[in-house]
Amino acid sequence: MPGRGALSLVRREGCWLGEFTAMASPCQVLSKADRAAARRQLEAAAAEAWRIEAKFSRYRDGNVVARINAADGGPVAVDDETAGLLDFAAELYRLSGGRFDITSGVLREVWTFDGSDRLPAPSDVRRVLTRVGWNKVRWERPLLTLAPGMQIDLGGIGKEYAVDRAAALAAAISQAPCLVNFGGDLAAVGEIAEHAPWRVGIEALDAAGEACRRIDLARGGLATSGDSRRFLLKNGIRYGHVLDPRTGWPVTGAPRSVTVAADTCSEAGMLATFALLMGGDAEIFLSRQSVRYWALR
Amino acid sequence: MAVTERRRKRPARRQPKLPANVAQGIAAATCSLLGSAAAAPVLAQEPPSWKLDTALLYYGEADARVQDLSLNVLARRLYTDDRTLSLGLVVDALTGASPTGAIPQDEVQTFTRPSGEAVYSVAPGELPLDDTFRDTRYAITASWEQPLGRLYTGSAGISFSTEYDYTHAGADFHLSRDFNKRNTTLSVGAALARDELDPVGGAPLPFAPMTDLGDLSSRGSGSESKDVIDLLLGVTQVINENFVVQVNYSLSDSSGYLNDPYKILSVVDPVSGAGTPRAPAAGAEGPLHEYRFESRPDTRTKHSLFAQGKYYLDGRVLDVSWRYMTDDWGIDSQTVDTRLLWPVGERSSLEPHVRFYTQTEADFYRASLVAGEPLPAFASADYRLGDFDAITAGVRYSRRLDSGNELALRLEYYRQDGDVPPEQLIGNQTSEALYPGLDAVIFEVSYAFGF
Repeated sequence: MPGRGALSLVRREGCWLGEFTAMASPCQVLSKADRAAARRQLEAAAAEAWRIEAKFSRYRDGNVVARINAADGGPVAVDDETAGLLDFAAELYRLSGGRFDITSGVLREVWTFDGSDRLPAPSDVRRVLTRVGWNKVRWERPLLTLAPGMQIDLGGIGKEYAVDRAAALAAAISQAPCLVNFGGDLAAVGEIAEHAPWRVGIEALDAAGEACRRIDLARGGLATSGDSRRFLLKNGIRYGHVLDPRTGWPVTGAPRSVTVAADTCSEAGMLATFALLMGGDAEIFLSRQSVRYWALR
Repeated sequence: MAVTERRRKRPARRQPKLPANVAQGIAAATCSLLGSAAAAPVLAQEPPSWKLDTALLYYGEADARVQDLSLNVLARRLYTDDRTLSLGLVVDALTGASPTGAIPQDEVQTFTRPSGEAVYSVAPGELPLDDTFRDTRYAITASWEQPLGRLYTGSAGISFSTEYDYTHAGADFHLSRDFNKRNTTLSVGAALARDELDPVGGAPLPFAPMTDLGDLSSRGSGSESKDVIDLLLGVTQVINENFVVQVNYSLSDSSGYLNDPYKILSVVDPVSGAGTPRAPAAGAEGPLHEYRFESRPDTRTKHSLFAQGKYYLDGRVLDVSWRYMTDDWGIDSQTVDTRLLWPVGERSSLEPHVRFYTQTEADFYRASLVAGEPLPAFASADYRLGDFDAITAGVRYSRRLDSGNELALRLEYYRQDGDVPPEQLIGNQTSEALYPGLDAVIFEVSYAFGF
């Protein structure tokens, strides 16, 4: 994996494979364009990924998310792009009946999914939960006002958004088939290579890096949610890392991994996230959405 | 009771309470976020787990010689992680006639059929063909291939075939390893086979004379067998993004009964070169000339060197290969095979194909045996062991259908021209008469699909 800021471009099985690291993930741009165009696609995709990471990562200082989270009850005026993401988050909150909530990140103060048996005390969870809830937020574009102690985290949206943005930039550079893959969230653009689709592997649950299922993606988005390596285990009960912001406790009975195919990576990612938030009803939920999905339990 | 208590405590199962079509809502929200018009619909599917290649092939030699209608089915089950199960079935329906090795004569020739139960005659000047060549052959293969660790790939397979007078059983193993960032692949392979022959009327003894109807004194008892061991060593090298070369060396060692039980030699007059007359026993039907069954060595060792280059350019693929084979029977052969895959439009391709083949004759190849001379150690008049050149030329057209399945047609022409060495021609014999050319057409319809 190339280091931060580094790009690599090599010929691999009939296409150009560009690689870089962004958002703590290995990122790839596979292109069937010529070398010069593939290089420009890679540079554009990497620049966009790094820009989005710098602008919206909650781990960076001085960006818009940091300003919002440090506002301590004061209103923050945001730019159009941020406003677009907040509108998107608000709509997702509504569509999910409060299950998808960009203010739920503070629950991490009491939840650490390190494979141990250290569950938080219910009283601690209740205490933190008072600072969770998009319904407690005042969002009047372009002004966002959080209650003191509340925070937002766009991590649940950012990567898929970056994939779609990068894919659009790549498509503007060349019409040749191109696949953007940021840490397993993908979008395929360009001429439809129906008979030579991108072959995508879904990782097996217990063997990192080994594909247990293959999907041929010719066009559109594919995203996977779930992480079998982040959990707590107590008294034989497995607490997955997906928290229900309405209760502050992990969703129970969720598949360990959900992959969804949709027209865009963002759509696919949100459907996969929603499915995990539905816990044991994930598959029922997905089958009602008439989308192609692959759930691993 | 603990059990009922636990049941009472379990919360009632919640039904998902979400807007009716969440996916539509998410799609609309995504559309506003990305500021784009509605994206084109996603095209994603699980690849088929079975892939079938089916083909119906007709091979027809001119002048009512061999005709073969062959059905080929290769089914491959593709598992993830590149594990593959392959199952193959071939059914061949053979009819027609094949040269016996006897030379044309100015007189009518009569032969006892291989079964020893009938005779047939050949007109003056005609090449003697055995028209009882009619058989159905069934062959099945099964193989398993899988990666072994990160850099190795291994495969193992078995094969079995059966026809009226012949059965084959074999096993093969291959191992390859990638080097040099997967730009170099080394492979080794081994194959073992045992073939059993049970010719009609029993396998003839080497150099046994063709006898009258009902006289099986020239026949051995029981069936015969041969064992074949093949070893292969190969290297594939990616030269650059467009060019891949492969070089293989293979060693093949056969031992056992290597004769063709249906091939004979004419016994000719040392001066005129005409067949030696023979009278059947009183009241019996039988050959009117002398013939002897062929005799080949009982071992054969072949060395082959194969080199292939594939050049990819803008969807076109030029594939050129050369094979050199030499064996301890004295046969040296060379094959040059060239094909060019040329896409036509979005879905179709044309692939012209030309193949040249040339071989020298086996040390013991003889057009005929000479009456009165001591028998050589080995002799065969099988045209396939003679000195000949062959050319194959044709074209394959393939088209991808709306379903993604592929339909292909292949039409090829084959011509073989041989020579009998001048020093073997006796009296009035001519090379043209003793080694007639062979023309054949090959037509194949193939269909590949998955499910």
